[in-house]
Amino acid sequence: MSGPRPETYWDAIVIGAGHNALVTAAYLAKGGLRTLVLERRDRVGGAADTTELAKGIRVPTLAHTVGRLRPSLQKDLGLARHGLSLVAPEVRVFAPSANAGAVTLWSDTRKTAEGLRAGSDRDANEYPRFDRRVRLLGKFLDELGRATPPDIKSPGLGDAISGLKLGRSFKGLGRDGSRTVLRVLPMAVADLVAESFDGDALRAAVAWRGVRFGAVGPWSAGTAAMLLTDGAGNDGGAAGETVFAKGGPGALSAALAAAAREAGAEIRTSATVTRITTKDDRATGVVLADGTELEARAVVSGANPKSTLIDLVDPVVLGPSLGWRAGNIRTPGVVAKVNLALKKLPVFPAAGGDEALLRGRIVVAPTIDTMERAFDATKYGRSSDQPILEATIPSLADPLLVEGAKAGTHVMSVIAQYAPYEIAGGWDAGRDAFGDAVISVLESVAPGIGKLVSHRQVLTPVDLEREYGLTGGHPLHAEPGLDQFFVWRPLLGQARYRIALERLYLCGSGAHPGGGITGGPGQNAAREILSDLRRR
Amino acid sequence: MPQRYDAIVIGGGHNGLISAAYLARAGLKTVVLERRHILGGAAVTEEIFSGFRFSVFSYVVSLLRPEIIRELDLPRHGLDILPLDGTFTPVPEGMGRTPPKDGNGNPIGTGDYLWRVNDHGRTVRELRRWSKMDVEAYEEYGPLMVDMARFIKPILAIVPPDPASIDPRPLLPLGGLLRSFQKLTERQQAVFVQLMTMSAYDFLNQWFETDPLKATMAASGIIGTFQGVKSPGTAYVLLHHYMGEIDGAFRAWGIPKGGTGGISNAIASAARANGAEIRTEAAVARIQTRGGRATGVILENGEELEADSILSSVDVRRTFIDLMEPGSLDGEFEREVRRFKFRGSSGKVNMALDSLPNFTALPGEGEHLRGAISISPSVEAMEHAYDDAKYGRFSSKPYIDIVIPTLVDPSMAPPGKHVMSCFVQYAPYNLDPSLGGWDQQREAFGDAVVNRIAEFAPDLPSKILHRNVQTPLDIERTTGLTEGNIFQGELSLEQLFFSRPVPGWARFRTPIRDLWMCGSSTHPGGGIMGANGRIAAMELLKSKRKGGKVRAA
Repeated sequence: MSGPRPETYWDAIVIGAGHNALVTAAYLAKGGLRTLVLERRDRVGGAADTTELAKGIRVPTLAHTVGRLRPSLQKDLGLARHGLSLVAPEVRVFAPSANAGAVTLWSDTRKTAEGLRAGSDRDANEYPRFDRRVRLLGKFLDELGRATPPDIKSPGLGDAISGLKLGRSFKGLGRDGSRTVLRVLPMAVADLVAESFDGDALRAAVAWRGVRFGAVGPWSAGTAAMLLTDGAGNDGGAAGETVFAKGGPGALSAALAAAAREAGAEIRTSATVTRITTKDDRATGVVLADGTELEARAVVSGANPKSTLIDLVDPVVLGPSLGWRAGNIRTPGVVAKVNLALKKLPVFPAAGGDEALLRGRIVVAPTIDTMERAFDATKYGRSSDQPILEATIPSLADPLLVEGAKAGTHVMSVIAQYAPYEIAGGWDAGRDAFGDAVISVLESVAPGIGKLVSHRQVLTPVDLEREYGLTGGHPLHAEPGLDQFFVWRPLLGQARYRIALERLYLCGSGAHPGGGITGGPGQNAAREILSDLRRR
Repeated sequence: MPQRYDAIVIGGGHNGLISAAYLARAGLKTVVLERRHILGGAAVTEEIFSGFRFSVFSYVVSLLRPEIIRELDLPRHGLDILPLDGTFTPVPEGMGRTPPKDGNGNPIGTGDYLWRVNDHGRTVRELRRWSKMDVEAYEEYGPLMVDMARFIKPILAIVPPDPASIDPRPLLPLGGLLRSFQKLTERQQAVFVQLMTMSAYDFLNQWFETDPLKATMAASGIIGTFQGVKSPGTAYVLLHHYMGEIDGAFRAWGIPKGGTGGISNAIASAARANGAEIRTEAAVARIQTRGGRATGVILENGEELEADSILSSVDVRRTFIDLMEPGSLDGEFEREVRRFKFRGSSGKVNMALDSLPNFTALPGEGEHLRGAISISPSVEAMEHAYDDAKYGRFSSKPYIDIVIPTLVDPSMAPPGKHVMSCFVQYAPYNLDPSLGGWDQQREAFGDAVVNRIAEFAPDLPSKILHRNVQTPLDIERTTGLTEGNIFQGELSLEQLFFSRPVPGWARFRTPIRDLWMCGSSTHPGGGIMGANGRIAAMELLKSKRKGGKVRAA
């Protein structure tokens, strides 16, 4: 199907070169389609990127761990062969508190339980059970995540079959498991952890993944689903995955790009798509900022669904109803990224000098209430004055990140919530104040860290939108709420990777199974696109 | 020799009485056992102060299922619902748009207001003052919500299936639902999904820009829940409160003549007419079981009663933790029952007034006082009120839903005098220990409510003759509602339909044979709806008919 054709005609044009878009492009090219990837920025990777913070000091720009990446696509695309090398420290989460106490979650569940024993026997006994529960429900959610959401308007045979498959894995949960999943998914993560644990620090350390990247607090309904989804299809369990890519997440994007190119895909950077062209409600190609027109049998958007439909599709073609719904896709970004170059390794009294404890994710979320209070600020257009933090020090496991810098230098990558997209006074004025708030929270668990900072980068939701095209500054393309889930992610009737127009597809985090460095939406979308294009 | 019945109903609230009426109607020898001296549970009218009669707890009605009114012929038994017209939301000075002017162009009052009435045209004219866009949206929103309520109505009448069971038959009603779901337009389908998952604020925000409008409409989404208007899941509660309106505006929110006790009395009269026996001051102390089967009850005075079936209309925790012999429950089931969330979040302040309060935004004793008066000036105010509760305090500036029943039913107070009913959120059942508990905070809470209203009607304090404050603790003590939750358990997503009250036990049956649940802890939840009591009775009768014990009703 990919005979010689003019340069301007492709089987598939993929808009954007984020990790999902690269995954889709690689699969399409492997499937024999002449595939062109068009990236607005001068580099591939989108939110999976590594950039130089200062001379010889490189940091994970946005995302900092990659442990949710689907094993199947790593194998299919031969990412190891293309240079992807993963590091998984034994410690998953180190959650220090100001009073030099700490909760530590290890990849070894038994070791974690032993550590909890000091605080509470019940917590120590419950933790392994909770871990098993998360894994059991995560397994079901993974099967859900690999499925294309059924077409509930006019179910076809395929939908019936996948429905049966899901039904079987649902029954596979067993009587209690299947009831539990239905009861738990809409719950607040604060309630979920409270059912198992007494220790507030443990509750918070586990609950953090239920609110990470979402405009929700631990008391918000649906956050239990976010926790379980985070552990779906990976070895996360109760602790959550903590896996680094050598060279930072940018190395993952490089490997994906190499795999795509090897399969025959062409990738162009600094190529901004301004419009998706259509003919009779069918996508026919794209127009670039420089006026170039490119035609394709299929147009695949790795951009978020809101900007795909609102910014790239002619509103007349889209129609008022879908236009209204697209405009209402919720993209409330609340995450800021703070990247630090440190003159030397900071001291965490709670770690008692054990550097190994600092190799995982350092979560500063002291209690459920402090998380909720940090969230409250977003409701009134303010950023938290005591934000919740997830920090990593990737240079511990990957010294090459700082090889060009003075000995002893380290980099710290900090995901900070809550920083709502819209704050009173605007972000250009509020940026540094929030950076200071992050440092002062770090000071509470690592006194003196402020003085170690040689370079500081603060990326606000507004920067995420400007630089990465993330509408509303939402790193997951669309809020991972129960209202934008599975059959209705991003929109009901538009959740099967085919969106709005014939031959227009969505392959990014805004599609099922949602955001994070998983490659899931990209892999699922490629499957659907290939089956459509082969059908004729 | 203990007295013997076909069916014993524990609790004389509206659901218990409805169950009893249907069972008696089918020829079962039925007795209702009520702990208090009056019937109605949370739907009671009491003369708290001499000459002043109050709907002490539940105060308006709209959800009561029409089929129940019809089948039990309640109007003949004295049910008379007087319509409440409109919702009046006063807005503080500075937060209004274009404050209403009188004929000479002078402002009518200080501050502004948003006043919606059943007369669509008037509401639209009023809304136009605030936002032309919202007028258009309003025209579209109303019919859409009616469609949604129509679609969900059948769900109120079905017995939730157990998705984990291998028996497909209970799933059949879902097939019908799926088919009618597929008949909806894609937009309607999408909106329905949003109603089941979104926050009331996010949902409304898609249509409207007027802050007091969003705040007042969203308020229906938090009634009786421990959630804020921005909490996911509250859009469902919004719909839950819409369902009563689907038979048209004439059945919109109203108040029963003689107070909500009027409903309970009408149902009780219908039950008696069908031959049910109703006993007050007959508190059940224990549900007796033999071999995993409920056989009867023991009253607190030691009296024993036996029956083939026991129906409990009290909430799930009272039923299984308080009334059952400890250790008589399966461990997992007991864990699930203890897990069920109540979290009472609302209080009630009942006042006897010398005369009507004067709202500065619209002075005078106009008809704006005849409907609901909603203290919900902005979404931020609603959220701040919720934040207080999250950290164990009652709201310093609470959301208040005010009704002055004497304006539609003067019989509630001496001539010229008035009663004022104030439903208040938030009042968390569990206060921060530093506050010392509700018995210490009761009057402070009452003051907060009066002061909040006085911000809009400064002369209110001078008109209060008597004040009666119902904290969640008081509600629990008086009515037995655990943690003072007016719905017998939160209407949160994980406690609805096949998970209400316990996953796998949403079909009104319980692990104890011949013990049934018929209260608001069951599907479809709370409010003076009665569906629970009716469906439970129907299910019990069906199971008996199989055994050939009763004539077809």
